[in-house]
Amino acid sequence: MVRSILHVDLDAFFVSVEQALVPEIRNKPVIVGGRPDRRGVVASASYEARAFGVRSAMPLSKAYKLCPRAIFLQGHFHLYRDFSSRFMEIMADFSPELEPGGLDEAYLDVMGCDAIGSPREIATKIRGRVKQELQLVASVGIAGCKVVAKIASDLSKPDGLLEIAPGEEKRFLAPLPVARLPGVGGKTEQALKKMGIKTIGQLAMVPVENMKLRFGTYGVMLHHHANGIDDRKVAPYDEVKSISRETTFEHDTLDQRFLEAILWRLSERVGFDLRSQDKRARTVGLKLRYADFETITRRLTFKAAIASNEAIFDAAVQLLGQALDRKRKLVRLVGVGVSNLVSDAKQLNLIVSELQRRELVNKAVDRVRKKYGFTSIQAGRTFALKDTFSDNESA
Amino acid sequence: MKLSCLQENLKNALSIVSRAVATRSTLPITQNVLIATDGSRLKLAATNLEIAISCWIGAKVEKEGAITVPARLLTDYTSLLPNEKIDINLTKNTLHLKCARSETSINGLDAADFPPIPEVTDGINTKIEREALRDGINQVSFAAATEESRPVLTGVQLEFDGDKLILAAADGFRLAVHYTSVLTPVSAKTAIIVPAKALVELSRFLSDQDESVEIIVNQQKSQALFRLKNVEMVSQLIQGVFPNYSQLIPQKYATRAVVDLTQFLQAIKMASIFARDGSGIVRMEMTPGPEMTAGKMNISARAEEIGENIGEVDALIDGEPAKIAFNAKYVSDVLGVIKQKQVALETTTSSSPGVIRPIGVSNYVHVVMPMFVQW
Repeated sequence: MVRSILHVDLDAFFVSVEQALVPEIRNKPVIVGGRPDRRGVVASASYEARAFGVRSAMPLSKAYKLCPRAIFLQGHFHLYRDFSSRFMEIMADFSPELEPGGLDEAYLDVMGCDAIGSPREIATKIRGRVKQELQLVASVGIAGCKVVAKIASDLSKPDGLLEIAPGEEKRFLAPLPVARLPGVGGKTEQALKKMGIKTIGQLAMVPVENMKLRFGTYGVMLHHHANGIDDRKVAPYDEVKSISRETTFEHDTLDQRFLEAILWRLSERVGFDLRSQDKRARTVGLKLRYADFETITRRLTFKAAIASNEAIFDAAVQLLGQALDRKRKLVRLVGVGVSNLVSDAKQLNLIVSELQRRELVNKAVDRVRKKYGFTSIQAGRTFALKDTFSDNESA
Repeated sequence: MKLSCLQENLKNALSIVSRAVATRSTLPITQNVLIATDGSRLKLAATNLEIAISCWIGAKVEKEGAITVPARLLTDYTSLLPNEKIDINLTKNTLHLKCARSETSINGLDAADFPPIPEVTDGINTKIEREALRDGINQVSFAAATEESRPVLTGVQLEFDGDKLILAAADGFRLAVHYTSVLTPVSAKTAIIVPAKALVELSRFLSDQDESVEIIVNQQKSQALFRLKNVEMVSQLIQGVFPNYSQLIPQKYATRAVVDLTQFLQAIKMASIFARDGSGIVRMEMTPGPEMTAGKMNISARAEEIGENIGEVDALIDGEPAKIAFNAKYVSDVLGVIKQKQVALETTTSSSPGVIRPIGVSNYVHVVMPMFVQW
């Protein structure tokens, strides 16, 4: 039986939400990411801004040079989350086999959903409801496997619908540049170019053994994807393996108090996400990028899994101290992450310890933040940062 | 020092006192064992500064004296000797042992440098039957905390009141309480916290020779002495306030299931194989039988990737149908120390403490917190 998978992707999601709420900025170059005189990158750009060459992940300063008259917005992440869940709810009306791939995209397996309509009819219905209920634009790719569906939705943008008939996958992929394959970034692209491979079609013809020799198991996957073969299932529950947050500073620094304040804020963010998913972590990691772009990561693993902001912070501070003892250079970026996640044991307590009491305080603060926003309640330690992060930060 | 004794006696004594030898220590002499003549007996002693164990054996003493030698070395060596007479002779700081056709010399350290074994004489004084003490220790010590973050919970509280003794231990998730009595009433109500590790050691060397154990607590309640016929253990006591556990024991239940202990334990063990990667969660469902007939208890566990197991045991159920989930280890731990044929599991809600009691005796109660699960 032929599978039918939809990849549904919202066009310029953050910007479109802003435009849906503020009609005055529709049809104008809009950039979400922050003020152009601050450091940071473009999180989302409207198609009008893209016409000037503005792209996601581009430094804001560069975006400003390309398009000085663009409207720069800080962004409202709680709104995006809200729109995202409404978007997912619409798709869940069509099939339970839904795999979100971030806030603004998802795979939907519609095999056996003929009673609702053909895959193309379902895609059209979803696009219609997204437009009507959310005032957003969704592009959809339809194919027999995930990778082709994703590339199809990518190519159909903006406001498109592209269906690749069974058996047509290879022919569809062949002329496309290799960078269209999900997972092929700058480095792989360069490596392939050196092998004389520019298109997916050329890649498809490289024997799988050669790909394996050159790229390992990743090469085998590339080979299959280039041939339109992808038997990954649409997995509704994609277990989170790690959680991390990082931030780039406005000015490179070695100020211990500032760095600790930042680490505390990041630890709170990571802890919040960790607890929201009913998880605990055994490993805490620190990422450090120096002014000269040298980037290091350090990890600390515990015997017992932790879940409190304090435990994450203590580990991060320790790792930072060790890293800076070894190499004292101005720091440009720090990140805090947790991995080795285990589900929250759910063992109820007969006698509550100091450590557990702290986690209970964390959870109470989490509830306040879920209701009134993250900055509604603050630790004294981060007071100095109140101008660095705004209410709707993404970091 | 010059004496002779039997290899078997020396070997046994060494195996008892070596439980108190320090493994890692900043004070090297605590890795030694003290050997000293004491009247017509030979005394061996070791201490890690938390506990000290002394043991006496019969010997033919010709000349008095004392020395300390590396405990591990002497224990290993003695255990390999044949069961014959050992002649022991001390010249300066070297201990000579001669047994059958073996001779050895061991360099020792001066006995005067050995940490003094505390003498516990004043304070409260009582006696308890060996079996009563052993049962009490076995039924509660495993529930003490192993991690050191809350020191009082690493101990077992001994509460003396008249001729009553209550032993209690808790680790934050469970509580075990054993009620027993002492042979001689104490003069004043006293509660002490003894390190669980010390009591476990004590229960190991309670032998058939010992009909009763004398317990002496000093006035400051900083040390306790446990005196057997030929062995004495002194333990430092944990300072602090033990949680008021009586309020943690539920006074009523909504469901009570009486089951056969062996069947219950078997079902828990089967389920725990499948509970390993799911934080050890086993689920129990109690269903009363229709009209005066026996009900049943289902015990199940599942592992996402591996599979699941459902076991069923007959149960006499009083009250409502109920569901509750526990850490398998906590349940098997308590079932493992109950000697009676049947036990009762009492629950109120799936998120409030469960109580396990042996049927037929009322000297033991075990409280265990459930795990929160989605049913």
